[in-house]
Amino acid sequence: MIPRAGTVLRVAARLVRVGAVLAVIIGLLPVALVAATGMAVAWRQGWRPARLYRAAGRCLPMVAVWLVGTALARHSLWPAADAPRLAWLAIWRHGDLLAAAVLTAPVAVPVGLLSAGWAWSRRLAAMAAGAGGRSPAAAASFDARQWRHQVRAARARIAAPGAVPLLTARGDFVAGAVIRAVGHPQAALTRLPADRIRSHQIVIGGTGTGKSTLLLRLWAGFMAAGLARHAAGVAGPPLLVVLDCKGGPDARRLADRARRVLREAGARNVAVWPDAACLSLWDLPPGQLVTTLVDLVEHGTGGAAYYTDVMEAVVTLAVEAPGGPPASAAGFLARLNNGWLETVYAGSAEQLQLVRSAARQLGDIGLRFRAVFRRLGAGLDGPGGLGAADAWYCILEGTAEMAVAEAQARALVDLLASYVTVPRRPARQVLLAVDEFSAVARRLPIWQLFERARSLGLGVQVSAQSWQGLAAREDDRYRLATTAEGGIWLLRTPYPEPLVALAGQRPAVDSSRQLTGWLRWSRSGSSRLHLVPVADPELVRGLDTGQAAYLHRGGVTFTQIKRLVAGAAALPAESARTRAPAGPTPATAPAAAPLPDVTGFLDEVFGSWP
Amino acid sequence: MIPGAPGPVTLADQDAAALPFLADMYGLQLDQLTALLGLTSRQCRALVARWVSRQLVESGTLSPGPPWVWLTRAGLRAVGTRYPATPPALPRLAHLRAVTAVRLGLESVAAYRDGGAHWRSERHLRARQGGRVGGRDHLPDGEVHWPDTPSQGPAPAWAGECWAIEAELTPKTVARTAAIMREVLTRTGDYGCPAAQARVPGEPPRHARVVYLCSPAATGTVERARDALGSLAARVEIRALPYSAYLASAR
Repeated sequence: MIPRAGTVLRVAARLVRVGAVLAVIIGLLPVALVAATGMAVAWRQGWRPARLYRAAGRCLPMVAVWLVGTALARHSLWPAADAPRLAWLAIWRHGDLLAAAVLTAPVAVPVGLLSAGWAWSRRLAAMAAGAGGRSPAAAASFDARQWRHQVRAARARIAAPGAVPLLTARGDFVAGAVIRAVGHPQAALTRLPADRIRSHQIVIGGTGTGKSTLLLRLWAGFMAAGLARHAAGVAGPPLLVVLDCKGGPDARRLADRARRVLREAGARNVAVWPDAACLSLWDLPPGQLVTTLVDLVEHGTGGAAYYTDVMEAVVTLAVEAPGGPPASAAGFLARLNNGWLETVYAGSAEQLQLVRSAARQLGDIGLRFRAVFRRLGAGLDGPGGLGAADAWYCILEGTAEMAVAEAQARALVDLLASYVTVPRRPARQVLLAVDEFSAVARRLPIWQLFERARSLGLGVQVSAQSWQGLAAREDDRYRLATTAEGGIWLLRTPYPEPLVALAGQRPAVDSSRQLTGWLRWSRSGSSRLHLVPVADPELVRGLDTGQAAYLHRGGVTFTQIKRLVAGAAALPAESARTRAPAGPTPATAPAAAPLPDVTGFLDEVFGSWP
Repeated sequence: MIPGAPGPVTLADQDAAALPFLADMYGLQLDQLTALLGLTSRQCRALVARWVSRQLVESGTLSPGPPWVWLTRAGLRAVGTRYPATPPALPRLAHLRAVTAVRLGLESVAAYRDGGAHWRSERHLRARQGGRVGGRDHLPDGEVHWPDTPSQGPAPAWAGECWAIEAELTPKTVARTAAIMREVLTRTGDYGCPAAQARVPGEPPRHARVVYLCSPAATGTVERARDALGSLAARVEIRALPYSAYLASAR
C-alpha cells in the first residue's frame, strides 16, 4: 500500500522537527542538562515556576563576576562568548568534562534554569487547562501527585531545625511551611504580619486535626510579637486570655502545654484559672457588675420577664448601695436582705419604696444567686485581676456543666471588656481566644464583641470544631466569618463550603479534546473560561493532621503547621502527696509543725509531678 | 570609674537587673538573658555588644546553642562582688544552664515575687565559705529565702522558710544522693559559719525543704534516694527540669 503524499509530508515534517530539537539539545547540552534537572527537581518538590526563575536570578552575580573576570583577564568580552565553543573543543579533543562544565556553567546554569521555568510553567498551564497528559484523568492525577510532592517538601522544611522560626527578623509571624498558595505570594514559609494575629481570626477544625497545635503557635506568636513591640516601646505589654470551653483533663493538659509554650515565647507568668489563679468579678464597675450579675442567672421569657425586672432592680439596689459595691459573693448575698437594704436606704424614700416592693422576692433572688455562686465556684470571687499575668488560661467545664460554663464565659468576657476599656498608656495588646466556642455560644454574644473590639485594641480569636459550632444561628456565623479580618484557618472539616466561599472564585481554563484512539488525541479542541473556588473544598476535606488552609483577602495558603516544642504535658495534681514517715531518725529535730503544702506553687512553676 | 574601662560606667535599669544575675549564675546563654530581660534576641545582642564594648562582659560560644555571656573583672567590680573572674567552666555548662532555668522559672511566677522571695546562688554560698572552699560541705545549687512578711500582698503559708534547690541532670548513686539530701536537710548553720555551728542538735534546720529538679535520667535515682531518707523524705520535693533547662544539643 502506497502512503498518501500528505501523510509522507506530515511524517517528514515531524522528523525534521524532532531532528532540530535534538540538534539544539546536543548543541546546548549543558543548558539542556540544567533545564532537565531543574524540571525534575520542580516536579519532585512541587515547586512553582517562579522558584526556578528566582534561582536563575540568583545566578546573575555569578555571571557578572565571570564576565568581569574574563574582561579583566583577556581585555575583551569575546572569550566569554567563545566559552561554549571552547568547552565543546575540550570535550572532543581531551574528553575533559570538568573543564567543559567549568567553562559553560556561568551561562548554562542561569539559562538552563530559565528554560526549566518556562517549560515547567507550560506544563503546569497545560495540565491545569486539561490539555496535557495522555489519559483523560491525567490532569487530576497530576494535580494529586503534585499535592503529595508539595506536602512532602513542606514536611521536610518544617523538620529542618531552625528553618521555621516563630517570628521573622521583621517581626512577622510564621505559621509553618507553605504547601500550596493560590492568590497569595508563593513563598516557602507562611508569614503573617504581626498585626494580623492581633486581629479577629477564626479557626475551624475537628478533633485530631492539629487545631491545638495551630492555636498554641498562634498564641505563642502573639505573645512573642507583642513582647517585641513592647520592648521596642511601640505598645503596651501583651495580654492573652484563653477561654477553653471544653474543660476536663484534656483542657488541663493543653493548659500545661500552653503555659510552657508561652513561657518559651517570653511570657513571664501564665495564670491557669480557676485551678491556680482567681479573678474578681467584684472589680467590675457597679453598672457593669449589675448587668453581669443579672446575666449570670438564666431567665425565661414571657411572664418570667417580670421576675427578671424585679431581679435587676434588687441587684441594682444591692450593688449601688451607699458605701460602695460588694467585694465578694458572700458580701453580695448578705445584702439581699430586707433589713439590710431598708437600713442603708433609710434616707431615700424612692429607693426605700423599691426595697419594700421587692421584699417578697428577696428570698427567692438570694436563693438563685446562692445556687449560681456555688456552681460558679470560687474562681470569680477574687482576689486577682487580669493585669496580674501576661496570659490567662481559663478552663470552663463546658462539656460537663454547659450552663455553668456559659455563665463563667459571660463573666470573664465582661471582665475583659471592662479591663480593655480602661485607658492605659501605652495601651495593652489584648487577644481573647475562645476555644471550643460552641460550648458557650448560646449565651456569649461574641459577634458583638467581634464588631466592637477593634476600637478597643482587642483581638478575638474563635475556634470551633465545625461551621455549625461557630454560632447558634446562620446569621451570627456569617457575621463572625465576615468580620474576621485577620483571616480564617481551616483544618480538616467535612463542611468547609461556607467558609471556602468567602475566599471567592478565580478564573480557570477548561479544555476539551477529541479522543481519536486509545490514548490518542486529535489536535483540535475547545477551551472555555470558567470560575472555580480559590480554595478547593475537596482539598480542605482531605487535609492531613497538622495541615491548614489559611484564607485571607481572596486567597488561600495551604500550610504545614510547625509544632512548637514544649516540655511534656503533665496531668494536674489532684492533691498533695502524702508520705508516711518511716526509717531512721534524722540527726536534728525536724520542724515541729507539719510543713505547709507547696505543691500548688511548685506545680505552677515546674508543672505537676505524677 | 572602672579601671581599664574606656569611659565612666553608668548602669541602666537593664544592667542593674542583669549584671548581678550574671555574676551570681557564673554566666548565661543569650536566650536565657533574653528571657530574663524580656527583650528580643536582637535587642539582647545589642545590649551584650554594649556591655562588651564597655568591657563589663565577655561573650563566646562555649556550647551548642546561643553564645554564653559572663562578667569580666570590671563587670564583677561594677556589681560589687568579689568573685573570681573566670569564664564558665566547660564541664559545668549544662548544669549552669539548668540552674539558671530553674531560677528564671521561679522568678517568673507572681507568687514568688509577691512573697518577696530571694535567690542565693551557689556562687554566693561558695564565696561565703571563703578560705574553706574545697571543704567537704555540699553546697546546694541555690537557696530560696522566703521572708516572714513580704513587702506587698499576703504572706504565703511557707513564709520564713529557706529552701535548698538542686538541679540534677546526671544521676549519682542512690547512696550519694541520699547523703547529700540528709546533709542539706540536717544543716542548721549558714554557709561560712564556724564548723561547730553547722550542725547543732536540737536547732531548727536551715533548709525547711529541698527541691530537686531532675532530668528524666536522674529522676529514678533521686526518688529512690528520697525513699531511703525515712521521715526526712517529707521535706524533699521533686519536679522535672523545665524544657529550657537543657543545652541545645541535649533537647
